Amino acid sequence: MTTTHSIRTADRDGAGGAGPLRVVLRFAGTILSNGKARIGAAILGLFVVVGVFAPLLAPYDPTANDFASGEGATAAHWLGTTAAGEDVLSQLLHGAQVSLLVGFVAGGLSTVVAVLIGLSWGYLRGFVADAINFIVNLFLVIPGLPLMIVLAAYLQGGGLIMIIAVVVVTGWAWGARVLRSQTQSLRSRDFVTAAVFSGESSARIVFREILPNMLSLIVSSFFGAATAAILAESGLSYLGLDDTSTISWGTMLFWAQNSNALLTGQWALLFAPGLCIALLATSLTLINFGVDGISNPRLREGKGQR
Amino acid sequence: MNDAKHPDDLLLRVEGLSVGYLSPGRAPVHAVDDVSFTLRRGEFVGLVGESGSGKSTLGFAITRLAKAPAEITAGRILFDGSDIASIEDEALRRQRQGGFAMVLQSGMNALNPVRRIRDHFGDIFAAHGHVPANRRTERMRELVGKVKLDAGVLDRYPGELSGGMRQRVSIALALSLEPQLMVFDEPTTALDVLVQHAVMETIRELQREEGFTAILISHDLGTVLESAERVLVMHEGRIVEDGPSRRVLEQPQDGYTRMLLSHYADPRAEVVSLPGMEEAAVRRERGTSRAESAAARSATDAGTVAPSVATRRRRADRAVIAEGLTMTYPPRKRGEQPVRAVQDVSFTLEPGTSLALVGASGSGKSTIAKMLTGVEQPTSGSVRFGDLDVGRLKRRELRTLHRDVQMVFQDPYAALNPLHTVEYTLTRPVENFTGLKGSAARRRVLELLETVGLSPVEQFAEKLPHQLSGGQRQRVVIARALASDPQVIIADEPVSMLDVSLRAGVLALLEDLREQWGVSLLYITHDLLSARLITDRILVLNQGRVVERGATDEVLRNPSDEYTVRLLDAVPDPRRAGAA
Repeated sequence: MTTTHSIRTADRDGAGGAGPLRVVLRFAGTILSNGKARIGAAILGLFVVVGVFAPLLAPYDPTANDFASGEGATAAHWLGTTAAGEDVLSQLLHGAQVSLLVGFVAGGLSTVVAVLIGLSWGYLRGFVADAINFIVNLFLVIPGLPLMIVLAAYLQGGGLIMIIAVVVVTGWAWGARVLRSQTQSLRSRDFVTAAVFSGESSARIVFREILPNMLSLIVSSFFGAATAAILAESGLSYLGLDDTSTISWGTMLFWAQNSNALLTGQWALLFAPGLCIALLATSLTLINFGVDGISNPRLREGKGQR
Repeated sequence: MNDAKHPDDLLLRVEGLSVGYLSPGRAPVHAVDDVSFTLRRGEFVGLVGESGSGKSTLGFAITRLAKAPAEITAGRILFDGSDIASIEDEALRRQRQGGFAMVLQSGMNALNPVRRIRDHFGDIFAAHGHVPANRRTERMRELVGKVKLDAGVLDRYPGELSGGMRQRVSIALALSLEPQLMVFDEPTTALDVLVQHAVMETIRELQREEGFTAILISHDLGTVLESAERVLVMHEGRIVEDGPSRRVLEQPQDGYTRMLLSHYADPRAEVVSLPGMEEAAVRRERGTSRAESAAARSATDAGTVAPSVATRRRRADRAVIAEGLTMTYPPRKRGEQPVRAVQDVSFTLEPGTSLALVGASGSGKSTIAKMLTGVEQPTSGSVRFGDLDVGRLKRRELRTLHRDVQMVFQDPYAALNPLHTVEYTLTRPVENFTGLKGSAARRRVLELLETVGLSPVEQFAEKLPHQLSGGQRQRVVIARALASDPQVIIADEPVSMLDVSLRAGVLALLEDLREQWGVSLLYITHDLLSARLITDRILVLNQGRVVERGATDEVLRNPSDEYTVRLLDAVPDPRRAGAA
């Protein structure tokens, strides 16, 4: 008991105070001390740069369709052109914007919903908890993909906002469940009882006493949700449920499939966006390895020690 | 060293051993610093020290269980003639049979909950193959017999056994490898007082019968002196005292050992006093307060300096009256009897007095605390505080109660949110209960810190819990309880998690608050010595019933109930060990 305590103390001493900026920096530092997480962050960083500077980096306008259609890789079009005569590389670069946007916004929103519902579900008792329990279980048992497809079909034409809404509605329940069980274990801790004795309101206990103690879980739940959102967006656009004129990796796959790209030997049309989706999802998962180190100091003691 | 006379008898020789905690980019912290000692075969040696002294690190190092980031940085460990400080994993694994074994404080939690006790033994026999397959069941029965358990436990799951039984099982498991050296690391600390006593008894008998060499690591000098022939006292990574128990008791060489010894006393004595603390009854007769008598004796111990208690605004004027309190929990399984945690307990805590609620774990004392503070509602009976009927309060009305009735928690490590500064923790109740805001609230927080003796106050206000020692944390917990300017403080085992040397300071603080602030104190404990020191009246609880009550000094000097006598016997007392 003495030993574990002194390890924790040593870990935190360097960090000093508890300002929000410090907390963020400490989190980032801990995450990046993990090798896998560094690789993930590098990949993610690359995609962010590409997404932000796509208009500058892309050789052509991604919607310009006045090139020869269905070309293979050439010096002018590194990844060839689509059946409609657009430059694949330019589309790929612009596509990063949509994936990142949907990933982070939808991932963030579903984490917020999960935190609000999960924490109150875990802290409150009685009728409210039972009611939340029913709703969450309902969302957990409904198969996600069919629900997504049905919702997307109904909200046809809503563009990105529609996709984000669909992903949030179908994606929060699992996170809420995980956060609830952690809340339940924290609520029985003495410092929570002590806060009741200090006259604190329930809301303040949940958000000022309990929530900060599960930040790492929330961060990891965010990266998980973002990964799921990116995959869901690609899936929906691949099925043609998104506005098919948006340029995203999913719609690129949709058009490639429509024009039988594999049969015509244009493997880059399928391969390039597919690889990007996989890489982006992988990068977030890798970052999550580093997040584990925040909550469990033993995981960050470095290599070769166990 | 007298061991040198029997060189052939040596089982373990530790030479210049240092163990450091390594962290990248920082100088290693040496928890064990250049330690040398020897153990003869069949010796029973106690290793005593307070938390952070490096005693557990040393225990882990000599059984080679130390894990990263702890690392042996220097020295040799000669076990039975060969150096084990550097042997490899597989050789080490084989060495565990017939070599050295360790019993941990949390050993009772080390059992796999989904496997029967029999399977745990089976695993060990299979891993080492030292018992032929047809003799295994017989050997298991023999082993559990040795730790005074019925052979029936072999077919039970760990969850079906009590903490004491599980700790016995883990001792039997360690024994199954027929070790020459057994290291017991706080084997009884996590157990109930009465069970502790019985388990220690078993360990002593086993050691005599089996003749293995034993090291008993403990924070409690009393327990060690009662059991071991020889004592090593550890302080800040070094061994400061090494000698036969009797000599350590009668002529301690080191100042640190003398300090530890001074904190023991027999609660049955005519007059009880500890450094900085004299028994409540004696002081009251003389009409002096603790702070005065301590000042008169010019207390040099920094831990017990009287806090300045200048900020009291009112004295307690309302009594806590419990009548026929009963708490029955529904049965855990269908068909079982409901659990009667508390049965028909009545008492009155008069304003400004102190009452001790004592009993072993499971006696219902913490359940009573929960009912008194409105955290739980009694099945029947009532708690009244002034004109409040505590059992009937709504959640929102509890706040009114908590303005006057506050709680000090047992575990100062769990009772403070690790992410909040001391100032935040104290500001919250000040704002919630007194309505002070901004700089007025801050002034009040600093006053509170001053009151509990944490100065310089500005510095302490900025600290996070992990930057404080256990005693300092407990003072913050007490300061928080004082923030609402309460009339009643309920202290649930406030010193049981603290080192002996810090206990007196916290007890003195509670006593001063009662005397000078006029707060009523309900002191819940299993430790009769501290109850004797700071309370006027006592209530002894056994399985939810009051078995004895009266003035604390009279009850403890002339206990009439057999249960009280058992509790008294369980108090470790080095002097009694010396007399025996």
